[in-house]
Amino acid sequence: MITRLKSCLGLLLLMLLWEIAPRVGLVRMDILPPLSRIFIAWLGLASSGELWTHGVISLFRAFSGAAIAIVVGTVLGVAMAASAPVRIFFRPLMEALYPIPKSALIPITALWLGLGNASQITLIALGCILPVAVGAYNGARGCERVLIWSGRALGAGKMRTLVDIVVPSALPELLSGIRTALALCLVLLVSSELIVSKNGLGYLIGFLGGSGIYDAMFAAVLTIAIFGLIVDRLFLRYIRWVLSWQ
Amino acid sequence: MAVIGRTEDGVRSSPVASALVWLAGIAREYGSLVLVLICWELVARLSLVPPYLMPPFNEVLVRIWAEIGDGTLWVNLLDTLRRTLVGFGIAVVAGVAIGLLLARSSTAEWLVGPLVSIGFPLPKIVFLPIFILWFGVYDTSKVIMIVCDAIFPVITATVAGAQGVERQIIWSARNLGAGERDLLWTIILPAAAPQILSGIEVSLPIALIVAVITEMMLGGTGIGAAMMESWRFAESTGVFAGLLELSIIGFLLIRSMNALRRRLLRWHAEAQADLV
Amino acid sequence: MVAPMEHAGPGRVETGSEDAQIVVSGVSHVYRPKHGRQVLALDDINLTVRRNEFVALLGPSGCGKSTLLYLTGGFLPVEQGTICVLGETVRKPGPDRGIVFQHFALFPWKTVRANVMYGLERKGVPRREAEVRAAEILVQVGLKGFEDSYPSQLSGGMRQRAAIARTLVLDPATLLMDEPFGALDAQTRNLMQIELLALWRRSPKAVVFVTHDVHEAVYLAERVVVMSARPGRIKAIVETGIDRSDPEFVKSRAFVEKVDEIWHLIHEEDGKAAP
Repeated sequence: MITRLKSCLGLLLLMLLWEIAPRVGLVRMDILPPLSRIFIAWLGLASSGELWTHGVISLFRAFSGAAIAIVVGTVLGVAMAASAPVRIFFRPLMEALYPIPKSALIPITALWLGLGNASQITLIALGCILPVAVGAYNGARGCERVLIWSGRALGAGKMRTLVDIVVPSALPELLSGIRTALALCLVLLVSSELIVSKNGLGYLIGFLGGSGIYDAMFAAVLTIAIFGLIVDRLFLRYIRWVLSWQ
Repeated sequence: MAVIGRTEDGVRSSPVASALVWLAGIAREYGSLVLVLICWELVARLSLVPPYLMPPFNEVLVRIWAEIGDGTLWVNLLDTLRRTLVGFGIAVVAGVAIGLLLARSSTAEWLVGPLVSIGFPLPKIVFLPIFILWFGVYDTSKVIMIVCDAIFPVITATVAGAQGVERQIIWSARNLGAGERDLLWTIILPAAAPQILSGIEVSLPIALIVAVITEMMLGGTGIGAAMMESWRFAESTGVFAGLLELSIIGFLLIRSMNALRRRLLRWHAEAQADLV
Repeated sequence: MVAPMEHAGPGRVETGSEDAQIVVSGVSHVYRPKHGRQVLALDDINLTVRRNEFVALLGPSGCGKSTLLYLTGGFLPVEQGTICVLGETVRKPGPDRGIVFQHFALFPWKTVRANVMYGLERKGVPRREAEVRAAEILVQVGLKGFEDSYPSQLSGGMRQRAAIARTLVLDPATLLMDEPFGALDAQTRNLMQIELLALWRRSPKAVVFVTHDVHEAVYLAERVVVMSARPGRIKAIVETGIDRSDPEFVKSRAFVEKVDEIWHLIHEEDGKAAP
């Protein structure tokens, strides 16, 4: 209990400072609104419904893009590990695409698909496939031959072995690849919504900032930040639970 | 490249056939890449897709050549690189310092440690509008944003590395007369170097990604800004030229990072093995 | 010859006498793991190591023999009792008490030469001189030609030679060895034992040698301190009294009997531990 409290102390001090500093005039109120004002602004955003309409749009984009990336990435990675032709075809492409800073794709998908959902979902999917595929490939490649052989000896077919033995043993690396992808997904979502979009939470932040409604802007920023934190923590829990056999 | 491991399926054959094997190796390494580029060129040439969506590959190259000629490439390239490297450099120095402090001081650990563990998974890019509000739209905001994103992998890697130093290594150093300062500089830092370098390797691509985002958002100079400029005028060659330029920068940065790692960790047996 | 602890009371400990190099008196140590119950690792240890004596600490794992060594080295704080080395109370690690660990603890990022020179640099010995001294000691331990290798490029035996050289180059009056040959294969181990004895004869110093190998203890030490586990206590101190001038002394009757005698002492312990 005491250690828990202790571990929150740094955060609490920071929050207290955030509340007090603008109130006593250490920083300008409009540039850093005190936390309580931000909270009130958040309530305003929530009750007017703006937060939800934009939030749902953003969530839909993030979820669809990440889902596509995870499915395609996993299949691609495992297929590369399992089959030489697939590997020979995709490996050079992956190595060529890997160093691209993923944010460089923002104007590309905007060029292709305009400012709507399709553009953002494609961006997230394209950007996040690689970490997932690399994780799946490295994990599946590391699967011990003895395991595969004993699976085959127990009468499992080729497909069965792949699903029952190769994929589970690739899980640790695959999951950590997915974790990277999720973080990247939020970054791409928010930045593309800030730069090229007409709705979504990122757009809302840009709009509020542009209109000078800073306490609401801070509220929207903190909402996304906390959402990202929660997603990561939940996924970490999920990883620990799935890998509890380790 | 180190990120995607290789399978050992190279076969040695007679010296007569070695040239063929070499050619086959090249085809194997880069065949699909060339194939995709040819497909790209064909699809664009045959107007299967409108050129404003996908310009032919050779036009992209021509465009880059033109940018080299009129000097715009250098201006943008240097600006992007400068921001990336300045932000990255600050993140590395500050990250290692904070990491060492966290690992060595329990007060710092309980005061700052939780903030670091919360800050790492935050999508920090959402703070960019706030930084714009505070620091304006010029380099300060951009560099601070890059530092914010690139610093966390360095901090966590440094903490893990410094805390993971074997107790007996530290004891040996003390036994041989090392004081606190010696311990930090001559023992803990080099012992944690492999992990610190891994953290740095994660943070360098992040720095580039964020640099591009800030340029796209704030405009001005830089390849990211130039890409957005082209996008606004639906100039697809400009957009794709930017993509290619950034890929090359990314590739060179990752390569030089690998070389640096190999140079610094000559002593490290495992580091040698996994870098082949 | 056997001197059980009950008889080796404080009166017989040569505390402060000219002849004593290490005096351990009334030392207890509690091991407090972060999670789980605390354990009494050492219980009221009294021991005197004479000047330039070779003593082996022998006992089962968990008897606290390494803990006693770490306390003497100054790596762990002495919380109860005192340890004096050459009349000075131990408070922190120092180059007067060289230590050699089982897993070498070489600095992997430094070459063998740089490892050996580390202590000299800390003492402020000029670079030229440090290089000369490092070269000399590396010849002595048989590592000539490997000065520029990194530890990861050496075999286990060679790594331990390097670790010993790193300690010996400072010419410590006391040498603490924590199962130094425990990680080596049997052949290398035997060779290292022979060479350690030779080194000790050439430049005498007090050696405290922790081991769980009875044969090794009798082979090397003048006195063997037999310890018992949980809590760690000194059970007996045995003078080996072996004439090592005969190169074949391992086969001598005296040697075999001494090994046997100590075996029995330890086996008694087994009987008590599992009633």
